[in-house]
Amino acid sequence: MKKVLSYFNKITIYIKDSFRRMVSAVKTDAMYRRFVYLFVGLNVILLLSELDIMNYSTVSLYAYIIIFTIVALGLNILLGFSGLMSLGTAGFVGFGAYGVVYFETLGFPYEISSLITIVIATFIGLAVGLFSLKVEGVYLAISTLAVGEIFSQIFKRVTWFTNAYGGVHYKYPTLLGFIELDRNMTYIFLSFVMVVMMVVMYHLTKSKTGRALLAMSRSNSSAQAMGVSISKYRLFSFVVAILYATIGGILYASFYRYVQPLDWNLMLTLLILAMVVVGGMKSIFGTFLGVFIIYGIPKLYLEDLFSSVSGVAYLFSGILIIVVVMFYPYGMIHVTHDIKKLYNKYKIHKQNKLKAGDGDE
Amino acid sequence: MSDNTNKSYVLKPGTLLDIQNLSMRFGGLTAVNNLSFDIKENEIFGLIGPNGAGKTTVFNCITQFYKDKDGIIIFNNKKNEIINLNDIHVEKIIKEGLVRTFQNVELIKDLSVIDNLLIGAHTLFKSDFIGHIFRSKRASEEETFYKAKALEILKFMKIDYLKDQYVAGQPYGILKKIGIARTLMSNPKLIILDEPAAGLNETETTELSKLMIQIKENYKCSILLVEHDMGFVMGVCDRICAINFGKFLALGTPDYIKRHPDVQEAYLGRDDE
Amino acid sequence: MSVFLQLLFRSLETGSVFALASLGIVLIYRTSKTTNFAQGSIGTLNAFVAATLLMKWGWSIWAVVPAAMVTAIITGFIIDTVFIRPANKVGNIGKQIITLGLIIVIIGIIPWLFGVEPIPLPQFIPYSPTTTITILGATIGYNSFFTIGMSLLLMGAVFLFIQFTDWGLAIRVTASNEITSRLMGVPTKSVTMISWATAATFGTLAAIIVAPQTQVDINMMGSIQVSAFFACVLGGFQTFYGPVIGAYIIAFSSNMAAYYLPPTWSVWSTVIVYVLILVFLFFKPVGIIGKKLVRKV
Ligand SMILES: Nc1ncnc2c1ncn2[C@@H]1O[C@H](COP(=O)(O)OP(=O)(O)OP(=O)(O)O)[C@@H](O)[C@H]1O
Ligand SMILES: [Mg+2]
Repeated sequence: MKKVLSYFNKITIYIKDSFRRMVSAVKTDAMYRRFVYLFVGLNVILLLSELDIMNYSTVSLYAYIIIFTIVALGLNILLGFSGLMSLGTAGFVGFGAYGVVYFETLGFPYEISSLITIVIATFIGLAVGLFSLKVEGVYLAISTLAVGEIFSQIFKRVTWFTNAYGGVHYKYPTLLGFIELDRNMTYIFLSFVMVVMMVVMYHLTKSKTGRALLAMSRSNSSAQAMGVSISKYRLFSFVVAILYATIGGILYASFYRYVQPLDWNLMLTLLILAMVVVGGMKSIFGTFLGVFIIYGIPKLYLEDLFSSVSGVAYLFSGILIIVVVMFYPYGMIHVTHDIKKLYNKYKIHKQNKLKAGDGDE
Repeated sequence: MSDNTNKSYVLKPGTLLDIQNLSMRFGGLTAVNNLSFDIKENEIFGLIGPNGAGKTTVFNCITQFYKDKDGIIIFNNKKNEIINLNDIHVEKIIKEGLVRTFQNVELIKDLSVIDNLLIGAHTLFKSDFIGHIFRSKRASEEETFYKAKALEILKFMKIDYLKDQYVAGQPYGILKKIGIARTLMSNPKLIILDEPAAGLNETETTELSKLMIQIKENYKCSILLVEHDMGFVMGVCDRICAINFGKFLALGTPDYIKRHPDVQEAYLGRDDE
Repeated sequence: MSVFLQLLFRSLETGSVFALASLGIVLIYRTSKTTNFAQGSIGTLNAFVAATLLMKWGWSIWAVVPAAMVTAIITGFIIDTVFIRPANKVGNIGKQIITLGLIIVIIGIIPWLFGVEPIPLPQFIPYSPTTTITILGATIGYNSFFTIGMSLLLMGAVFLFIQFTDWGLAIRVTASNEITSRLMGVPTKSVTMISWATAATFGTLAAIIVAPQTQVDINMMGSIQVSAFFACVLGGFQTFYGPVIGAYIIAFSSNMAAYYLPPTWSVWSTVIVYVLILVFLFFKPVGIIGKKLVRKV
């Protein structure tokens, strides 16, 4: 008992300590400040909608963006950092959504249901990761495609888990057993989780772990020579990607409160892939931007403009993904960077001109 | 394999690496054929031979990239234990104190120079991913510590002004230097360099020669290198082993190798070229 | 016996569909060094051409199929020249992502060109008592013979072409090493174009053969595409015939599983086959035909 207590104490100190350092880091590290801005910005949208300045449904749209940002972040770690392709993402999101609902119907509270779902997802992730140690390249990509397909069959057929085509209904989460969230609170909760997941990714990727993932994907042999264990980091990336997807799924069920089997198909997987690629591989805010471009822009603008033409959203996403891969491999997040660069060039140019002018006088 | 691990091996005092009867086949092709040589402590050792002689293959055998080979490779590791490298997994080789570069550089283009160096220290980090997620105190301290170390090495190599730049787009000479700098991060006993001077111009090559000797002296390690630039090899190496078609030709001081008839023949050819 | 024969024919028919699709995939994989994930979608797109010509313009099935072949060839050419060839520098995963993007584009373009309603497409030889034959108690439609025969003939022609003609030689050397072949004067550009065109026609044919079972709609090739890919990994990407063998194995085993397993299990037949193949891959990661190469460092 004492041991447990001391262990518990250690953990709290550990968390407190890292929290304190994080708070101080907000002052020094611009990235943390951006995380805070993003959190605030997302909640301003909520406020605007409450004040009837924005549509009620806009919040729902941003909830979707938040959820799929989390999912896409996971895929970004896998694809952008570890250079591994997964075509089963949608299946894992679906699993998270059904899982949390199912375990809550068994009588577990929200947190425990989520935890059980996450633990199971970890094991599935480990299995996929183990598989990836033996099977490589296209063979692996196609295998994940099949895993996605197996999931979608399960969603359609295993009635006790998913209620087949009827789908399952859910409610807004109750935290700690007594904090009953409503729609707005759930939205805030979602945005909070997203920012936490972003911070986790930021920390992970800017560390030995992130460097090892990059080393592994950029040159397998060189990574091995530097002592990076390929198997460990492959397993790790698959587990992380699947965990992010599952958490996204749990939040999906929590906000939309209805899960049905046909949503978790290859098309969704491809759109998530598009989000990562279009937004920017390896970029956290790029991923958010990517989700906004692929999901938000069609919903906010295109579908009204082109309501007579169906499929325009897909056309938009598809062309964008191809164009970005071919001509803009760092993704749309780099636009700001490039504009800044252009602007700086322009400024320098202007200054030089001024100087030259001075000389003339 | 398993009974090998209990075997004890011997090395002559002052010897760091001893390769005995190494052979490696690819299908019908014998890339390395019953090759033996040894490297002393604090020595720069050159391995030379015409194109396709099997030099890179020897490196890949030593660093355990190839598994199905004959012969033993005895090494005096960081803890001063005498081990057979064949018992070590390729990813654990660096921990024993042996680190290499690659013929085609193999750096991570989309990381900064200093981050590339930090990968060289991968095995020295003690924190795990939990620590990284929470940015634990130890993880941050480690990061700062090895960053400082990397900076020191970059200063030693006189490329510290590049530390925060991306590797992509750097000139070839710089890439080679970063590759060497990365090996120094792991406190190695033996550094293996595959064609460090290839693609460098004359001044860069001269600079590299000096650097080799400085590394040997400052970092108290041995260097095993493959190079086609004979001037460079003869200038920096204490001893040289020449091979052709995977077979041993001669081993000795640069002067001895220069004058060795078999070596001359291998490089100049007899009548048939 | 009659049931078995019936199943055998059904498997040969679905197997041919998978085989056509997977032969296209492996052709492209070997010459363009990318996995064409859009193989099924390309087939669907051109099946829509066929169905539209037939239903809305009143052409006969014997006219619309060649027409769809022509549009398929054009699709293949366009994809190769506009997307794949210029993307040579973006790397393997990049090219794969482009083909995945193509799926999205095609799904976006179909409703725009052909409307959102599924369109029916009849069999080559409509099923009726006069167009069937009974062998050992098994009733088999002429259409089955026709589609199986046509597929085998076409694939046979491709193998002969690859094995015995100059162009086939060009395909084989491009497959083994693109850069060297280009330096040696092999017209690799035309080779990849031919591959894409062939793959597109095969994908289209596969779609046209399965269309009568349901209708021509956007999702028709979904599971077929997955099976075709699985045929490739099962047979291995290293030979042209491996995937074809894989295709027939998959078709045969899932049909057998669907029939012989108890009803509660038989709905899971495809899943069971997928899982079995995944397990198989775990132990033989490059498929039935294919060996692991020593990685060059
Ligand atoms: N993984 C491999 N599979 C098959 N053959 C190989 C492999 N690696 C090397 N070889 C062959 O072994 C021989 C020796 O190659 P190696 O790369 O060791 O030569 P090298 O001495 O390093 O040449 P260079 O000076 O050109 O770098 C060559 O004929 C090469 O083709
Ligand atoms: Mg070499």
